[in-house]
Amino acid sequence: MSTLTNLVNRPSDPSLVELTQTLPRGTGEAAVVRAEHLSKRFGDLCAVDDLTFSLKRGTVTGFLGPNGAGKTTTLRMLLHLVEPSAGRALVFGRRYQDLEQPATQVGAVLEAADFHPGRSGRDHLFSLALALGRGAKGGHWFLERERAAAKRVDAMLDLVELRSAGRRRVGSYSLGMRQRLGLAAALLGDPDLLILDEPANGLDPEGVRWLRDFLRGFAAGGKTVFVSSHVLAEVAQTVDDVIIINKGRLVTVSPLAELTERRTGAVRVRARDAHKLQVRLETEGLRATRLDGDELLVQGAPSARVGEIAFRTGIPLDELVSESSSLEDVFLELTAEKPS
Amino acid sequence: MTDQLLAELRKMRSTRTNLGLLAGMVALILLTVLLNGFIPKAHELATHDNQHALLSAGTSAALFAALIGVMSITSEFRHGTIRPTFVVTPQRTRVITAKVIASLLMGALFGLVAIGLSLGLGYAILTIRDIPLELETGHVVWLVIGTPAMTAAWAALGVGLGAVVRNQVFAVIGLIIWAMVIDNLLRGLVPSIGGYTPVGASAALVADPADYVLAAAAGGLLLIGYLVAFVAAGAILVARRDVT
Repeated sequence: MSTLTNLVNRPSDPSLVELTQTLPRGTGEAAVVRAEHLSKRFGDLCAVDDLTFSLKRGTVTGFLGPNGAGKTTTLRMLLHLVEPSAGRALVFGRRYQDLEQPATQVGAVLEAADFHPGRSGRDHLFSLALALGRGAKGGHWFLERERAAAKRVDAMLDLVELRSAGRRRVGSYSLGMRQRLGLAAALLGDPDLLILDEPANGLDPEGVRWLRDFLRGFAAGGKTVFVSSHVLAEVAQTVDDVIIINKGRLVTVSPLAELTERRTGAVRVRARDAHKLQVRLETEGLRATRLDGDELLVQGAPSARVGEIAFRTGIPLDELVSESSSLEDVFLELTAEKPS
Repeated sequence: MTDQLLAELRKMRSTRTNLGLLAGMVALILLTVLLNGFIPKAHELATHDNQHALLSAGTSAALFAALIGVMSITSEFRHGTIRPTFVVTPQRTRVITAKVIASLLMGALFGLVAIGLSLGLGYAILTIRDIPLELETGHVVWLVIGTPAMTAAWAALGVGLGAVVRNQVFAVIGLIIWAMVIDNLLRGLVPSIGGYTPVGASAALVADPADYVLAAAAGGLLLIGYLVAFVAAGAILVARRDVT
């Protein structure tokens, strides 16, 4: 009986595991990550509010939103560090804590400083590699486990170019080295999904570029990356898709390309009767924001149309400038306070 | 489980924390033995109780052992390593159990070093001063076996305490104030319950001659009770609380 339950609950045949993970579910491929009505309250604060999204295999997805939007809480719910107040967070179709050896499927870099400053980078990886238990395969003796773990640890140190600093205490590492050590720790189990929380924070341009190339290569091998950032530009060259949240709520899920297409551009106008123009533009369905004094920022129409509306209304314009917005503007606009 | 235990042992070996605790413990025991061994006059040191005080100085290792356990969990919260630890092993009770076992082992090791030191040096001082040993063999055997058992228990208890408190500074200060002040006051002021405090229960394991001390078996069971209570409370709280 118990054997039967075991068979059903955890298929030991790897191909079977693969099958359950890639089986079509609803629309196309099963999601690597799926949040279903995920919510988290801390006392009165609703950090994450009814969030639903999913991640496709083999993509790099940016998880964007201003500071305090609930990104970190969401990522921690995916990893069972934070318990959801409502809803579910599934990784490869299961709750994280129900995965057998989760670190062989999921790697995570959550904070730049999750190290004991007095422990060497190598020992940090070593203890995680031992806990991971991959070394146990092929040997039951402690020495065999230690040896297998050591091999894996050194390979990871090579990968992130920390081999020579490996035996130094982490306290002496630069921020960039710590970030790479965190990445090495996440990769110890050779995971199919990598979760990174603000990995570019504090990295120099060279480090950002190194990380970008690494993540692209990781996803090119059919693996999946979920990377959070509060600056779109940081990840714009890395991600395929974006999930934007604000105040714990989902704002947009879209391919990055679509977001790029939304760059409508804005028009800046200076008019003597800015208020009247603003009202007129708004009745025409455009979004006009009062800058300072007699200046307006108009969104949703080219400058020619703004000029035409002003002409028809009989408001003389002092200035009419077309400003093409950047991707960052789109992001800021999406996450801006909606007027109520 | 073995995987987590190996990981915890690796963590314990790879910082200077436990080395520092060991050095502190050795220094304290050396000082205590030298003071107890050379300050009393020869006839004073010829009494059973004073020889117990001299030779059992190693039992003060209990406090250092408790700190091993406290540090093993609170340093993870302090430095954030608890996050990668729980990401690799989301079964948090498994992590706590591994820390308890690793602390039991390390605590027993500390206890052995401590009692070896105080017995060896204390006996050497008695020999030099030409004072006959007043403690019977059974008493000495209790010291040798009881001390590591007691320190192992305190180390495990420390894991539970650290898991409950989480904040390293509060846990360390709380432990020291309890062991050095409150427990002493309780035993001194209310001798009727003296045998039932954590320190009083431990005294039963090392043949302490004080009047209030319980029988070894009763004291041992009581100490195990304290250990289980702290570890269970810590494990339950760690499993329930969010790691932010």
